[in-house]
Amino acid sequence: MNTEKIIIDPDLSSFFSLKEILRYKSLLTNLAKRDFLVRYKQAFAGIMWALIKPLINVLVFGYIASKINSTDSVTENFVFVASSMLLWQLFSSVFNDVSNSIVGNSNLFAKVYFPKIIIPLSTLLVCLVDFFISLIILIVVFIVSGQTVLWQIVLAPLFILLTLINGLGIGLYCATINVKYRDVKFIVPVIIQFGMYLTPVIFPTKFYMEKISIYLPDWCQVIFFLNPMVGAIDGFKYALFGGEAIYSVPYFALSVCVSFIFLFIGIRYFYRFERNFVDYI
Amino acid sequence: MSKETIIKVDGLGKHYLLNSSAAQKSDTLYGALMNGLKSVKNIGARTERVDFWALKDVSFEIERGDKVGIIGRNGAGKSTLLKILSRITPPTKGRIEITGRVASLLEVGTGFHGDLSGRENIYLNGSILGMTKSEIDRKFDEIVSFAEVEQFLDTPVKRYSSGMYVRLAFAVAAHLEPEILIVDEVLAVGDAAFQKKCIGKMNDVSRDGRTILFVSHHMASIQSLCNKALVLKNGQIDFPLSETNLSLKHYLGVVTEQSKSLIALRTDRQGEGNFRFSNIVLKDNNGTVLTAAQTGIDVTFEIEYTLKEKSISNISIAITVYTDEGREMFTLANHLVDQPFLRINSGNKIHCTVKKFPLNNGKYLCNIIAYKDNVIQDYIQEAFLLEVEEGDFYGTGKPVPHSNPCFLIDNKWQVS
Repeated sequence: MNTEKIIIDPDLSSFFSLKEILRYKSLLTNLAKRDFLVRYKQAFAGIMWALIKPLINVLVFGYIASKINSTDSVTENFVFVASSMLLWQLFSSVFNDVSNSIVGNSNLFAKVYFPKIIIPLSTLLVCLVDFFISLIILIVVFIVSGQTVLWQIVLAPLFILLTLINGLGIGLYCATINVKYRDVKFIVPVIIQFGMYLTPVIFPTKFYMEKISIYLPDWCQVIFFLNPMVGAIDGFKYALFGGEAIYSVPYFALSVCVSFIFLFIGIRYFYRFERNFVDYI
Repeated sequence: MSKETIIKVDGLGKHYLLNSSAAQKSDTLYGALMNGLKSVKNIGARTERVDFWALKDVSFEIERGDKVGIIGRNGAGKSTLLKILSRITPPTKGRIEITGRVASLLEVGTGFHGDLSGRENIYLNGSILGMTKSEIDRKFDEIVSFAEVEQFLDTPVKRYSSGMYVRLAFAVAAHLEPEILIVDEVLAVGDAAFQKKCIGKMNDVSRDGRTILFVSHHMASIQSLCNKALVLKNGQIDFPLSETNLSLKHYLGVVTEQSKSLIALRTDRQGEGNFRFSNIVLKDNNGTVLTAAQTGIDVTFEIEYTLKEKSISNISIAITVYTDEGREMFTLANHLVDQPFLRINSGNKIHCTVKKFPLNNGKYLCNIIAYKDNVIQDYIQEAFLLEVEEGDFYGTGKPVPHSNPCFLIDNKWQVS
């Protein structure tokens, strides 16, 4: 007989295990399916909302960028903003939704056992589907503006992955705090809103560097790259447009490192308190 | 089948830290726990913390194929034990070894979403309960026909009647095939016919040699389903795992014993406490105190109470009478007969008279509750033991043949 032994004791600690996640694969996809189906139920425009929201953002910020970055052409500005804005939206939706996922699904794990990491992962899956739908905008803008596709495009998925890592890492950390202190729910949107202006979404990294060198000593530039989204967005732009998107390779590498550090901290923190979530929810 | 230990629980304990201000408000463990959990949210307000053991030093062993009932009052730790066994919350002390796949059913329809169709919910709920997609595919038709919802499979479940909703939810759970099934009072749903079906399904499951852990307040279903039972009290084992009949006897014995203790001294009560029962005595029409009620005479329940303030308005009181097997006989409630107490003062007594007491001789248990504007002020389960002596109900002078407990009703026969 297939006997599986489960041991339950106070100091049992679990950690990220791919095997366990694969065992709950159908739960993962079913939860994601639920969130996705429910989101656009009873909405007239339905799944179109996955397009409309980013489209408005691209138009508004593309227009602002073309007014301020007068050095580049208008179309170039729109293409730049479209690419970085979509990636930023992916990050902000993963970050925000993962932060709220544990509290929002407490009714599930208060009644049934399953690895709780499944919940944020299914949330991430939903955000990813939305992102792929919104990619249509980028593709259209790309074609209309007559951009050429470079060989670096094969690197693009890596930077999408890096964005997911950023959102998940910080998101897991916030999701854990959110279990006890619901303040997180209010802070996260603020971080996202301000974070966008500290990230090369509307303006290129070069723009920020010039501003920093006017007012501050040069070494302050490094602070800018402690933001893990800088690496993801600059890398993504490099994959799409090549050229000078990456301001400085060591700084870029630093930003990517920060991403992985955040992911590690996020997962560690999540798993440290995961077993006790039910007692605090 | 060889007797093989499938669940081994050793020195299990679960500890909570509670805010003392909250703990004072509620005297029951359950209430204290709920208040404690609520107060976790109220950071900022600094209060002293109080230790509370929801479970303490619980050890037992369950063999493969056992159907174990877990009995105890509210707050005895039954649900906490099930939650630890199903790995929902970790223990503070002790160790459990489980051999085999566990599925727990602490709630019917976990994860059901009103906007999703019946079909989508079957897959979602099934996967939450730990079934794989192929498992659900295989049992899909069986689930649908068990729930009797064939026509509404593609309707969002929020449009279902509550009966259909519950049936669908239970149907999914009933088709789980774990080696160990943990069930918490979910049978108290649906109509009688469906309940019967559920018990039948659980019996099928147990006949396959699977192990069941079952918590219920319904003594009759524990008796019919379980071959062994365990009694918990205040988080500790009050009566070790043994034959169901022995455990039930012990539990009911304890209940009747406790019901004799003075109501004023009872600590296992719930509610705000602005009104508190302090004593209840039975009197006959002449005002003589009775040690037992008597069938067929007018019986008055005289209720004494204490108040926090000098007086209280708009209080509702109810007495529910049960047989010692837990079957409800009737409820006496002043709001049901539309006789409200607009204002009562401390020092008064409340009287409730039952004309021609209709119960046959036997022992009955009474729950008492007082509430004001839908807020419970005082609630004591099994507050007192009501003994009823044989009497001349029909006024014929002949003894009434009886099988206790039962009701006697006046009736008239005529030929015309």
